[in-house]
Amino acid sequence: MSGPEDAELAAQVAQGNEKAFLAIYDRYASRVHALTLRILSDPMLAEEATQDTFLKLWNRAHLFSAERGSLLLWLLTIARRVALDRLRLEGRRPLLSDSNDIEDVWDQLPDGNSLSEEHRWRSLYFAVQSLSLEHRQVIELAYYQGLSQSEIAETLGWPLGTVKTRLRAALEKLRREWNR
Amino acid sequence: MALKKHSSFIENIPAYALGALDAQDASALEAHLQTCASCRDELASYRLLSDGLLAAMPPTNPPPSLRRQLQSNLPATRRTSSPRARIVSSWGQFAVGLALVALLVLNAFSFLQMRSVQQQQAQLSRQLQSEQTAMALLSYPGVKTISFNTNGIEGSLLLDRDRNALALFVWNLPQLGQDKTYQAWLIDSKEERTSLGIFRSDSSLPFTTFSVISPNDFEKFVGLGVTVEPSGGSDHPTGPRIFRVDF
Repeated sequence: MSGPEDAELAAQVAQGNEKAFLAIYDRYASRVHALTLRILSDPMLAEEATQDTFLKLWNRAHLFSAERGSLLLWLLTIARRVALDRLRLEGRRPLLSDSNDIEDVWDQLPDGNSLSEEHRWRSLYFAVQSLSLEHRQVIELAYYQGLSQSEIAETLGWPLGTVKTRLRAALEKLRREWNR
Repeated sequence: MALKKHSSFIENIPAYALGALDAQDASALEAHLQTCASCRDELASYRLLSDGLLAAMPPTNPPPSLRRQLQSNLPATRRTSSPRARIVSSWGQFAVGLALVALLVLNAFSFLQMRSVQQQQAQLSRQLQSEQTAMALLSYPGVKTISFNTNGIEGSLLLDRDRNALALFVWNLPQLGQDKTYQAWLIDSKEERTSLGIFRSDSSLPFTTFSVISPNDFEKFVGLGVTVEPSGGSDHPTGPRIFRVDF
């Protein structure tokens, strides 16, 4: 998806253009929904959070600035916050998975010659999946459940120092793997 | 010693990029980032990673009904004002505002009849301060009045973006225990929160008021939320959200 086209669509949405809004929806709803479902693990709550995210796009498209990043990342940043708010509002305890139980539609290795964003995200996805269970758990709780390091320590029953060490190691490893 | 301290900042950067750093460490790192270019570069690198984690999962289509629902709801949710447009007080708005103040005054007098003179004076003093703020806001051009009703908690928000001032009037706000407080947060377009302050509901009144003139520039904020927090407040929202008002 071309950057300038997204910015143009956002500008049109800011003017009240429903067609432009639906074009953005058709383009990115599956990504937004994947994130809200990942955080909330409940299809109904994820659907509501996805709806809230796109309603915020409708009402705040005038606040999007292409200079500060892509439209997709702007939407996903909003979606993450909306979903984490919902998680807190529901008073739900963090969920932990001890297996790769997500239905995997990315079952192919990324093409090493592809430079697309899609390739980059897929390679990061596989890099996350290749982490140890402890490393994946701290990233899951920190980023997809919105917990602080102290809260993670309490949830997992680990010393705070262990959480800090493992989170840092996990992210350093991911950064190294992803930038190869 | 300085080297050890700097290395501890570097070690905290990955967690900070994920928003997982505890509040005290985050504040210290933010102060350090003001003066350390290498740490800012390191943070930028980890932010690319955290951005990638937002998208690093297989896409999942939402139900087709969601698209239809959004399409049919869009015109009803469109905000008509741009962030920089002044909302000029019309006589209609002024009349509504006067009615609101009159309602506040009437309710104050009805409670004065039931309390001792000493308690009445204390309550009146607090209420007068809020009402003075509210009355001041009502008389300013550019003040916006937003009504809300969330799960039976209803009220009005008076907002003056030019003067970074707001007054909140809330009805049916539940009483909290002594170990809890309500905390108001400004919300920006990326859903980040900035604390506006804490307040408690008054058991002697059926409504709660909270007014503030903030050092923050209201232009960059798109809403206000209220959560329940431990007594004394929190650095970031930790408790359930009670209601939210979009500007």
